[in-house]
Amino acid sequence: MAQEQKRADAARQVPVIELRHIDKYFGSLHVLKDVNLSVQRGEVVVIIGPSGSGKSTLCRTINRLETIDAGEIIIDGAVMPEEGKMLAKLRSEIGMVFQSFNLFEHKSILDNVTIAPRDVLRVPRKEAQEEAMRLLERVGVADQAHKVPAQLSGGQKQRVAIARSLAMHPKAILFDEPTSALDPEMIGEVLDVMTELAGEGMTMVIVTHEMNFARRVADRVIFMDGGSILEENTPQEFFSAPRSQRARDFLNSLGDRER
Amino acid sequence: MKYACLLGRTIREAFVKEYGTCSMSIYALLTQFGDRYLSALFTTYKLTAAAFALAVVIGVAVTVMRIAPVKPLRMAAEFYVQVFRNIPGAALLIFLVYALPYLDIVLSYYVCVLTAITLIPSAFCSEYLMAGMNTIDPGQIEAARSLGMTFAQLVRNVVLPQAVRSSVLQMTNLLVATMLTTALASQVPLNPTDLTGIVSYINTHAVGGVTAFLISAVLYCVTAVVIGQVGSLIDRKVRVLR
Ligand SMILES: Nc1ncnc2c1ncn2[C@@H]1O[C@H](COP(=O)(O)OP(=O)(O)O)[C@@H](O)[C@H]1O
Ligand SMILES: [Mg+2]
Repeated sequence: MAQEQKRADAARQVPVIELRHIDKYFGSLHVLKDVNLSVQRGEVVVIIGPSGSGKSTLCRTINRLETIDAGEIIIDGAVMPEEGKMLAKLRSEIGMVFQSFNLFEHKSILDNVTIAPRDVLRVPRKEAQEEAMRLLERVGVADQAHKVPAQLSGGQKQRVAIARSLAMHPKAILFDEPTSALDPEMIGEVLDVMTELAGEGMTMVIVTHEMNFARRVADRVIFMDGGSILEENTPQEFFSAPRSQRARDFLNSLGDRER
Repeated sequence: MKYACLLGRTIREAFVKEYGTCSMSIYALLTQFGDRYLSALFTTYKLTAAAFALAVVIGVAVTVMRIAPVKPLRMAAEFYVQVFRNIPGAALLIFLVYALPYLDIVLSYYVCVLTAITLIPSAFCSEYLMAGMNTIDPGQIEAARSLGMTFAQLVRNVVLPQAVRSSVLQMTNLLVATMLTTALASQVPLNPTDLTGIVSYINTHAVGGVTAFLISAVLYCVTAVVIGQVGSLIDRKVRVLR
């Protein structure tokens, strides 16, 4: 018993996501410069920074949707290879929610949520559907289960995308500006779902411009500019007294509206 | 639809030119050769169905190769499509019938015809699927990858279904074009002959004139119209809403 506990404690020390010395170029543009990041189980990390600073690239690098030029990506202790079955497996352990939803347009909402569990995890159809309905219920779109994505609002689509990620029982979920493509009145419903997830202990990496939301859910804020992580801080510290000048400038540029 | 109109015009022109000069009436032709027309129609349908089915299977396989993460596969598939998209059907048939025997490959006439009218549509099938694929938002592919799908799962679940759904109309045209290409069968001795072959048959056994062709043309035409209608029906049903 004690030993099991010890092993569990040791496991808790292994970060769910770890990036070591990541460098990435787009041609001659150095987009990620020696980026190091580790995300512990249950942690909510919010990435903030001006447009073009490399936030999306960093986010997409975590499950290797982008190739990297140097460095290592380690998912829950396992090094993520460049290709192959192991890459697919590790990707399946990390959910991703995109700015533009990226639902499968030819499939019903229900099928959007069940397809990966059924084909990747080999969950039987009935079981997958029951679980999908529970998840759709949880994000508040169960009544849309038999429609196709084109019939849903942006907010509903994004909540389906979150349900689709959750259906894989991921160890962490990455969000790349999940509310940036939404009409203002729909932002709240998506942030509410995310806030709930954070409250339930989901490990999350979130790129967002929603500063109030960031302050509310973040355990840690990461400020990026020019492809580097310039500051890692608690949300309280970051928003009241950012250490770097560029973070101060960035926060000021957002104006009173955002703060 | 395009083919049907074209055929219709050909028939009209034939009528204008030849009406009254035909040696046998349609009625006389049908009573004398009705059974042969039926088996010719059946031969054409059989060839069309077999060629189209094979063409789709090969077309899908070639398309998957064209997007595969293995460069030699992509290059081979690309070469295949370029060759068969650009070779005339008659030339391919002549090659199969006359040139292959020099390589000690002797295929039956039926197999030669079927091969010729399969390979060419398979290249077009792949082109249409590639075009259909271009309608898919790359974001969906990233989503599939981030869910842990392998290349095969991605192709099966996301890429092919949408490519097929958005190319139904082109596939319908391809089916009609394949049917019209089966007329190549008339260039080799086949028994029973196809719908075009029957015209030569009748004209060597009786004086069928253009009326003999007319009957075949109407049969091609009606089939093409039916295929076109069914195709648009399917298209409306499966088209991906965006
Ligand atoms: N596919 C790409 N090819 C070339 N340059 C890119 C590509 N994607 C992003 N970039 C560039 O990389 C930099 C970082 O982009 P990105 O990570 O999207 O920033 P952010 O999400 O912080 O706005 C930008 O200068 C952008 O123009
Ligand atoms: Mg971005």
